Amino acid sequence: MKNRKENKIENKIENKNEKKKNVIYVCVVALLFFSLSVAAWLKPADEFSATERRVLDQFPGISWDGILSGRFMQQFEEYTLDQFPLRDTFRSIKAMTHLYLFGQSDNNDVYIADGYVSKLDYPLSEKALSKAVKKFRSIYDKYMAGTDVKVYHAVIPDKNFFLAEENGYPAYDYEKMFAYLQENLPDMAYIDITGLLSVEDFYYTDTHWRQECIVDVAKVLGDAMGVKLEAEYEAVTPDTPFYGVYYGQLALPIEPDSITYLEHEDFAECTIINHETSKEISMYDAGKAAGRDPYEMFLSGSLSVITIDNPNASTEKELVIFRDSFGSSLAPLLVEGYAKITILDARYLNEVMIGNFVEFDDQDVLFIHSTGVINNETAF
Amino acid sequence: MLFSSIPFLYYFLPVVLIAYYLVPGSVKNMVLLLASLVFYGWGEPIYVFLMAATIGLGYVFGILIEKFRDTSWAKVCMISSVIISLGLLGYFKYANFFLTNFSAATGISLPLLKVALPIGISFYTFQLVSYIIDVYWGKVAAQKNLISLATYITMFPQLIAGPIVRYSDVEKQLKHRSITFDKIAYGIRRFALGLGKKILIANVLGEFCAAFRAANEKSVVFYWMYAIAVSLQIYFDFSGYSDMAIGLGSVLGFKFIENFNYPFISKSATEFWRRWHMSLGTWFRDYVYIPLGGSRCSRPRHLLNVFLVWMLTGFWHGAEWTFIVWGLYFGILLIIEKTFLLKWLEKTKVLGHVYILVLVTFSFVLFDSAGLGDALSVVGSMLGVGSVPFMTEVTGYYVNSYLVMFIIAIVGSTPLPKMLVSKATQRPGVQKVIAVLEPVVMMAILVVATGYLVDGSFNPFLYFRF
Repeated sequence: MKNRKENKIENKIENKNEKKKNVIYVCVVALLFFSLSVAAWLKPADEFSATERRVLDQFPGISWDGILSGRFMQQFEEYTLDQFPLRDTFRSIKAMTHLYLFGQSDNNDVYIADGYVSKLDYPLSEKALSKAVKKFRSIYDKYMAGTDVKVYHAVIPDKNFFLAEENGYPAYDYEKMFAYLQENLPDMAYIDITGLLSVEDFYYTDTHWRQECIVDVAKVLGDAMGVKLEAEYEAVTPDTPFYGVYYGQLALPIEPDSITYLEHEDFAECTIINHETSKEISMYDAGKAAGRDPYEMFLSGSLSVITIDNPNASTEKELVIFRDSFGSSLAPLLVEGYAKITILDARYLNEVMIGNFVEFDDQDVLFIHSTGVINNETAF
Repeated sequence: MLFSSIPFLYYFLPVVLIAYYLVPGSVKNMVLLLASLVFYGWGEPIYVFLMAATIGLGYVFGILIEKFRDTSWAKVCMISSVIISLGLLGYFKYANFFLTNFSAATGISLPLLKVALPIGISFYTFQLVSYIIDVYWGKVAAQKNLISLATYITMFPQLIAGPIVRYSDVEKQLKHRSITFDKIAYGIRRFALGLGKKILIANVLGEFCAAFRAANEKSVVFYWMYAIAVSLQIYFDFSGYSDMAIGLGSVLGFKFIENFNYPFISKSATEFWRRWHMSLGTWFRDYVYIPLGGSRCSRPRHLLNVFLVWMLTGFWHGAEWTFIVWGLYFGILLIIEKTFLLKWLEKTKVLGHVYILVLVTFSFVLFDSAGLGDALSVVGSMLGVGSVPFMTEVTGYYVNSYLVMFIIAIVGSTPLPKMLVSKATQRPGVQKVIAVLEPVVMMAILVVATGYLVDGSFNPFLYFRF
């Protein structure tokens, strides 16, 4: 049996060891903590995040008004989040913890299924549907009612249409959405393109469809509108990786896509005008293929009004397309059949301005939007 | 400023700690006070002046009470100070509640006040009131040093979310406190654990609750999962903050009282409130319940005391009827338990656990609800009232997605992890492994929590521009 003296010595040694352990403990944690802090204080501010495709917040201006109102503090917090050192690495650590340690099925609503990255779009918003229908009907009533225009509408299903339910992710009733649109847009002939698409027609890391996979979609749309589309295209794939929009949102190191566009000799003879600047643009902007969002290479991205005049068109007909970003890669495939195509984005173009660009008479008019945009309450 | 934010963790805290450790002991309170004012002013620049005025009045009244001790003026000073402090709290926190209800009851439309609720006002008012009453009762001497009193009231670790530290608990520490590696190491552990509880568990459960609210295909199982999630979220959020406060206090050389003690292992509402927000419970006991007569009075008066205390406890949480009903709900449970149920519950431990878990879960549904009707609707759906299906595919998705988090949260709300670590450290071999693993785990929590914070700035809606 140990005597009291031995116990005392043992306790002393134990306390000494505990103290030593705590000193090391404090030093190790403090080293990490203060290193991160020093890096946060001293790191020069970045202007743009390539993975998130957005401009990053900069150090806010200091003023009494800003401080007293709390605006400076709020902006400073946003700045510190955006400019935190190794931001992308920290986001990846979070994503891995979220998905692999905590076993969550999605990160920031973004998930991987069958090798494709997609984003949950659930539930179906009746408010969004109603707003979209109201917008389309309003444009129709203002410009097309009583004219000889032929109006069509089509809906582009997103990747969730093919992936979500099959892989156990929440999905809304797409048929309900399609039925609602058909019922509430009785003056527009519905063209069903859902059967022509599969998940393979979409990029792995992006929300959009691949232009090289939608030639059949263009043909079906053309057939429905009375235009035969038979052109053969040359597929061109730039040698730059395409990190789609979900790549940044998922924040995991995954393989990028490659982007392919379909070239045709007639495209060079088309006159394409961006009416935001009244300047001529090209069908495909090679510079943007290597830019922040390569998908913007199709008709230069999110422009609200574009016209394409094709002197070699197979008909004298005109087409007006109301579209979202998916329409940018679709429109070039319809050029063959129309002498003039006017491409409008009703989300960014004030309704009263439409008449400045199009005099509705006997054109074909196609409303074509993706389910993601139709189900977004802030889109229209 | 929130503990769980990048500006606090990597900009404010390191600078404060360096300044605090570098200055001599006599200046530490001044550094702490300045840091606390910046901390508070960061979120509420204007209300710094309100807090300063409240402290100034408390300081003056404390000295006056002592000066007029044993005269009726001491009581006048005490009552004046309490009325002013509670009056300010009432004006900023409750005025619009009373105006709204007055308008609703009388039909006379009164305009609402355009005042924002100053952060932490409920906490620092209660601290000041406890100080004044303790000085009046002679439990503590009035603080003659304004900086020391202001440091006590404003101390940033516990300023905005407690625990409600009594002046008597830190009176000596305000004069002298030792800062040792042992205390700092303990503080880091508590802070990191609290940060993990808040960011990695409470916030993730909060996402589950948000998904539940947004879903339009709910089910009985989904309602139950939501009720459990919201209960655990509130616990991990609040106890995480308390852990961070206690940890920061320890890093600065203070010892704050505990605020939570595994409340979900309770077997009765009585025990639950001995383990939940302990600093608030003891505050109401010492400064309201006992002065009202406690249980040493007639039975009707005792019942009235209990009702009053629990109504006030609920009301303290927020100026909504849901909080008042929430407080009274517990008041009724406590009376029932005191009357006959507690003896029975003590004999049937398993049933006691089930009983309190179910009732506490219902209570947090009420706590989280926008109104009483909303709460009743959720509870009704939990009980299968109406046409809510038992299970849906959407429920299955969320249950599957959050299953690991639910298990972590449920196990983490019990003393089991602590017991396992404690047992393991008794083995010599494992002790060394834990000694190495512990800082690694704490650093991992810091890194992952930082990742969660940084990712919070992600703006997922921008792409719709295109």
